[in-house]
Amino acid sequence: MSNNWEMVIGLEVHAQLKTSSKLFSSSPNKFGSEPNENVNFIDSGMPGMLPVMNFGCIEMAIKTGYALNFKINKHSVFERKNYFYPDLPQGYQISQFEFPILSEGYINIESGDNQKKIRIERAHLEQDAGKSIHDIDPKYSFIDLNRVGTPLLEIVSYPDLSSADEVINYMSSLRQLLMYIDVCDGNMQEGSLRADVNLSVRKKGQELGTRCEIKNLNSFKFIKQAIEYEFQRQINIIDDGGEIKQNTMLFDTSTGETRAMRSKEFSHDYRYFPDPDLLPVNLTQEQIDKIKPLVGELPQDKLNKYLDNYSLDKDIAKIIIAEKQNANLFEKMISESTVKPKFIAAWLVGDIFAFIKENNLEVNSLNDKTKDITDLLRLISDDVISNKAGKEILPKVLNGEGKPSELVKELGLEQVSDSEELEKIIDEALVGEEENILKFQGGSDRVLGYFVGKCLKATKGKGNPKLINKILLERLKK
Amino acid sequence: MSDIDIKRISYLAKLKLPSEKEEFYSNSLKDIIKWVDNLKKVDTSKIEPLHNVTEKTVSIRNDVVSKSNSVDDVLSNAPERAQNFFKVPKVVE
Repeated sequence: MSNNWEMVIGLEVHAQLKTSSKLFSSSPNKFGSEPNENVNFIDSGMPGMLPVMNFGCIEMAIKTGYALNFKINKHSVFERKNYFYPDLPQGYQISQFEFPILSEGYINIESGDNQKKIRIERAHLEQDAGKSIHDIDPKYSFIDLNRVGTPLLEIVSYPDLSSADEVINYMSSLRQLLMYIDVCDGNMQEGSLRADVNLSVRKKGQELGTRCEIKNLNSFKFIKQAIEYEFQRQINIIDDGGEIKQNTMLFDTSTGETRAMRSKEFSHDYRYFPDPDLLPVNLTQEQIDKIKPLVGELPQDKLNKYLDNYSLDKDIAKIIIAEKQNANLFEKMISESTVKPKFIAAWLVGDIFAFIKENNLEVNSLNDKTKDITDLLRLISDDVISNKAGKEILPKVLNGEGKPSELVKELGLEQVSDSEELEKIIDEALVGEEENILKFQGGSDRVLGYFVGKCLKATKGKGNPKLINKILLERLKK
Repeated sequence: MSDIDIKRISYLAKLKLPSEKEEFYSNSLKDIIKWVDNLKKVDTSKIEPLHNVTEKTVSIRNDVVSKSNSVDDVLSNAPERAQNFFKVPKVVE
């Protein structure tokens, strides 16, 4: 009976910072290079090499501080977290422990129809480790140190999350914010954003249970699966009279199950101590203040602007703000034309996004087509062409096949909006329809549709439907 | 002074310790800790912890890439290599 049970979840999210160079060395911070290509003697842990702090990482941490409502600490300290593993050549990870750069933040997430505040305990800077590859050789592991020293910001939430959906919302809000402030590329497949999930269960209203940590989840789908599996696993153990042991779990993506990591003879003891190679980070208020303007507009700011200034529907506004590049494209179109933002937004999330999806494009790739797009939208909103004709021309415009006005002429899609011409056509269409006209005058509105259709057909679909409607009504009411 | 778990310490340090040496090392470590524990005689209750002996702040560099070592440099001390990887006994966790 999982009805009486609830889950309590805290998240540790590792975000790779998109600096050019590494946290303590000037090697490239780049994914997908040849093995050990981006490694120097600092990264490979050679004796006598000294780490030198990359200020770009501090700047990104401060930006994150502003975006996630953190207290930005002027004083922070790098410490050594000691453990042995082949892809950690120094024998320790440089991280922040007692004095992190950011503390006590929060973000608001959606939970059902409500907003929920998720408190964040801390965020600290640390180095990533290298990569071990176990499946090339049966007896050996192969080590690639390219990732060693990549700057990570570890963001640790309080256990304020209580369902898989909340975790997904929290994680995607974080991802959205980090991408907006341009500190993380958000690419979960490449491991730029990954989560450790701390989960415990309890009967509703009771004390916190013992938690297990599921390591290194790098997709929303796996996070959801792992949480659901682990929730049930813990409930089953307790229902069978057992006890949850605090454990580090791995999620097996092929079976959808969690399992304890090979049990260690001794519990971990990282023996943290301040890294003697690195002096404390002491920031001035000026250094911190200077970064504030770089944060820019956040998703919530944009949402408010779209609703208040552009009167967009909330659902449409949300689709546009979901990614910064959507919002940039939208705002570029608004700044370049006088077409109503609401009209632009409807076409953007409709036919334009459909085109992007169909052709597997990046939203950014349309940035140089915005003028053509808004020219086309102008023609539609001015009734020069019909909505239907607009849909026909749009892909050609997006493919760069021509200017909208030329395409309209070329394809003969210009709408007939000349009243005199339409009146003539309508009068002809009404010849011999005395019976139907009487029906309409007798109150049968359906006949109107029939007449509109007949007139549109007579214009080969190019008649302006609004105008036809208007003239027809005038004629029929006589 | 708390007791020394010599098995755990050697495990964390990845050092193999023959069992007949356990007592010897255990006692040696105890002596060292006892000596260092002399520091506890000083009353530090009103003193802020010191993280570094200088008052300087960390030296920083700008976020600029420079490549200083080649793959061959980096792999030159590796006991074994396979193409451009370090090759090590299999360790899976």
